Amino acid sequence: MEFFPASFSIFYQFGNAFAFLVISCAGLAVIFGMMGIINLAHGEFIMCGAYVTASTARAGLPLPLAIACGALTAALVGMVLERTVIRHLYHRPLDSIIATWGISLIATQAVLILLGPSMSGTGTPLGSTLVGERSYSIYRLVLFASAVGLLGGLYLLFYRTRFGVIARATIQRPEMARALGVDTRRVYGLTFGLGAGLAGLAGGLYAPTMTMVPTMGATFIVESFVTVVVGGADIFLGAAPAAAILAVIKAALTAWYGQLFGQIGLLVAVIVVIRVMPGGLSAFIKRWQR
Amino acid sequence: MKKNPNRHLMAAMLAGTCIAGLPAMAQDGPIKIGVLEDQSGDFAAATNVKVHAIELATKEINDAGGIDGRPIELVIYDTQSDNRRYQEFMRRVLQQDQVDVVFAGFSSASREAYRPIVNQFDGLAFYNNQYEGGVCDANMIVTGAVPEQQFSTLIPWMMEEYGPNVYTLAADYNFGQISAEWVRQIVDEQGGTMVGEEFIPLGVSQFSQTIQNIQESDADFVVTLLVGAAQASYYEQANASNVDLPMASSVNVGQGYEHKRFTPPSLSQMHVTTNYIEEIDTPASNDFVERFRAMFPDEPYINQEAANSYIGINLYKQMVERAGSTDHDEIRAVLGEGDVCFDGPSGNVCLDPQSQHMSHTIYLAKVEEDHSITFPEVWENIEPYWLGDAGCDLTQNDPSAQYTPSNPPPAQ
Amino acid sequence: MNPIELPDASEAPARRGLKLWLSRLEGPQTMGRGPAFWAVVVLAVLAALSYPAFANDYVVGNAAYFFVWTFMAMGLGVVWGYCGALSFGQTAFFGLAGYAYGVITINIGSAFGATWLALLLAVALGGVFALLIGYFMFYGRIKGVFVGIVTLSVTLVLETFMAQTAGPQWRIGDARLNGFNGMSGMPPLTVPWPGGDIMLYSGTALYYVLLGMVVLCYLGLRMLLNAPFGNVLVAIRENPERAEMLGYDIRLYQMLAFGLGGALAGLSGALYTAWGQYITPSSMGLTAAALPIVWVAVGGRRDITATLLGCLLVIAGFQSLTIYGSQYALVVMGALLVFTVLVTPDGLVFTAINRMGRLFKRVRR
Repeated sequence: MEFFPASFSIFYQFGNAFAFLVISCAGLAVIFGMMGIINLAHGEFIMCGAYVTASTARAGLPLPLAIACGALTAALVGMVLERTVIRHLYHRPLDSIIATWGISLIATQAVLILLGPSMSGTGTPLGSTLVGERSYSIYRLVLFASAVGLLGGLYLLFYRTRFGVIARATIQRPEMARALGVDTRRVYGLTFGLGAGLAGLAGGLYAPTMTMVPTMGATFIVESFVTVVVGGADIFLGAAPAAAILAVIKAALTAWYGQLFGQIGLLVAVIVVIRVMPGGLSAFIKRWQR
Repeated sequence: MKKNPNRHLMAAMLAGTCIAGLPAMAQDGPIKIGVLEDQSGDFAAATNVKVHAIELATKEINDAGGIDGRPIELVIYDTQSDNRRYQEFMRRVLQQDQVDVVFAGFSSASREAYRPIVNQFDGLAFYNNQYEGGVCDANMIVTGAVPEQQFSTLIPWMMEEYGPNVYTLAADYNFGQISAEWVRQIVDEQGGTMVGEEFIPLGVSQFSQTIQNIQESDADFVVTLLVGAAQASYYEQANASNVDLPMASSVNVGQGYEHKRFTPPSLSQMHVTTNYIEEIDTPASNDFVERFRAMFPDEPYINQEAANSYIGINLYKQMVERAGSTDHDEIRAVLGEGDVCFDGPSGNVCLDPQSQHMSHTIYLAKVEEDHSITFPEVWENIEPYWLGDAGCDLTQNDPSAQYTPSNPPPAQ
Repeated sequence: MNPIELPDASEAPARRGLKLWLSRLEGPQTMGRGPAFWAVVVLAVLAALSYPAFANDYVVGNAAYFFVWTFMAMGLGVVWGYCGALSFGQTAFFGLAGYAYGVITINIGSAFGATWLALLLAVALGGVFALLIGYFMFYGRIKGVFVGIVTLSVTLVLETFMAQTAGPQWRIGDARLNGFNGMSGMPPLTVPWPGGDIMLYSGTALYYVLLGMVVLCYLGLRMLLNAPFGNVLVAIRENPERAEMLGYDIRLYQMLAFGLGGALAGLSGALYTAWGQYITPSSMGLTAAALPIVWVAVGGRRDITATLLGCLLVIAGFQSLTIYGSQYALVVMGALLVFTVLVTPDGLVFTAINRMGRLFKRVRR
């Protein structure tokens, strides 16, 4: 039965790349797609989630609860930040780049000063399993499941709950929503908090598998950035398929030619995709749907 | 994190530079030592301790009367892990602050960035990090370990212990590529086989495909030459996937103390050749650790770079006292005599006049299941022989270049 | 009743050649006009010329170092401030030109003014590469934040690629690319002189050369931006569809502006390499790419004067902060960025100049 281990291996590599892209870009996609803000402090929300998760897990909390703590902390920080700074930057994407980059500098350096240059991590749970002749980390499969679950959960949130409908209405037609009695400021705040919380969740989920230093957000930011922009404004019609396509490209190139080609290939793919579909994937799909 | 202990030193330095930039080197004033280290940014974890080691050595020397009666004054800049800052501050420290010697650099890129400037002003710089070897430059004194010291001891031992099939995982830049070259050479000489070689770009943190490749190969052990926080995530991921192979490295544990930062048993079965780590159990080492922790009780770890920096300050003191001045030619003449040695935390070390690198006692550190360290083997007095053998002789001429095994010095 | 006599524009004598171009030093697209402004400019240049008499060699060399970066800032000012396209990848042209300068001078040496030829070729290479990327982007109708993403990807691809060129097979002629450790060994700018070539290491001589370049570039850009070309760029920035409907091929103008920006970034790159005799892939990385944006944003992107002054102030300020502020330097830098965006979104220097201008007008009345 050589077929099964081989195809499992391919699926595992793809699932890995896909999970990384989806989980790390979900928060950015919500914030960019919904509010037109480019959040360069995204990496620092991830770091926040990771640090809180690691500390609470080491203090004795079971890992899922620790991850939830990390996500919640990031969400709260996000809401505070929205009140003070982000509020003034809606639909000013270029200005938001600078402001959020400034915040990212402050956050990284403050964490370095206050907490030192690195933080001890927690081990990866759940061990490994043998498929064919190779062993795979079970946690990685959990990450893939989380990515799928995340997409499903966000879909339910935005398309099946009242909050979701109000949020989408506010983002698409804010004046109309206000005229109908929606407190748009609160909705914006909550949505930004959601985006930040998703970033914290990414940090928490990946914390057991990575080294934790104040600059750890940098590993996530480029790939999540390009996934979101390639995807376009809509997270479901855009970011998810974008993540899938980029994951396939990255996993395939890494498998055949090594990590260098994987990295470069991903970036070149981004350039090509944007050239072919200038509005991002979601614009292309929407046009194709009509 | 403690308050910045350099504040009073910085204030003194500020006052000094404000009191009219005195042009001439004060022959009877303090001896100024410039320190350019990354105290923030990506490399901060492994370099803050170097500054502390320098401060410890300075305090001890000053308490004992200084160098030839002259106290040491430190001029410290934070280079923020940015090569441009090295260029800016090396110029500042040599032209404006007019220091007598500079202790600078963590990454090889930073060293290559500041070397032209040191050459232009005919300064003297100590590079206290392990690196890929090959710098043949009369203005540089290198106390860091080089590949022939680390790999010619490590690889034969690993092959004897675990088997002849080797898989190399290296960071995809000069240090990783040249170290991998060394590994390849030594494996070849010892009759082993390279069953795989993978180069990972800096900043990559996801290793599932790599882990799969390693499992598919027939490797007896893996040589890991991973650099940076992102790449260090490999250990956790390999452990989670239960790769379960012994690992050999020249660069982890001894520099970035991963065995303290990662949860057991991700680093178990790791073997590292290092010239110093704080777990070494000799009287000299224990005494050093005690004095270090007395001055810096919160220090996370005392790594090999810290020991090298400490030794470097003491070597400089010896050379200045023997030469009777801080003039670089006279110091190099003392170096040329061939017996500048120091009994430090890692044992007896000497400077080699041909390459201006340092001999080392190499300790093989093995990380156990619970991340404690044992020392299965110690090699005394391993010389940095490659540069001299290849044709670099700084007592004769100064090419100011960096060579590699595939780009050796031109035949004389 | 006498009708008001309005001058007939078509009867006005046409200005030609030099006079036309000199008249473009002032115009609607740049701040500052009138004798008062130009007096201040002349004073500033005089002060800069006499600076080396009051400062030691290090400080002058450091000032020369600051000048090296102004070209990249001005280039980004043209592309972003005047044309409206946020390019996140100016460092790609910076690095490319830097490496080109290094490769050329290592191969042909520095005799007979060869370094100046290398400088020219390097800048040209940067410009040509920028035109190519510009063609790819603007003729593909890429706009807005996507321009930023594509340019960022380009610079990161270059960085990742160059960082692994450490092996001996990576060489162009005599020049080894040397990967992450960076390429060194190239000569500085050298002026051929009968008694012995003058090597322009970081110091007073280089300072004067760079000061001259900065002034020329600044005046040249003023003239260009007040010319019809600049007017079209601003029109594209304000409303691309309207500009197109007025008959301008906006893709061509955007591409040309981008090419100009790339050439200026390339000039910075080649000069940086000549200044420090060193170039490295990390000068094309993410942090390096974000820095020009920070300078231009804090300085003020809508005006070339503000961009120039802002760039110098910010670089000098950041360096001082790093020297005297140690750990807190980066925190202060971040706070400065946030403050700028919230309080003075047009840029600190731009807003300051505007306020001063208004103050003077009030005073004169």
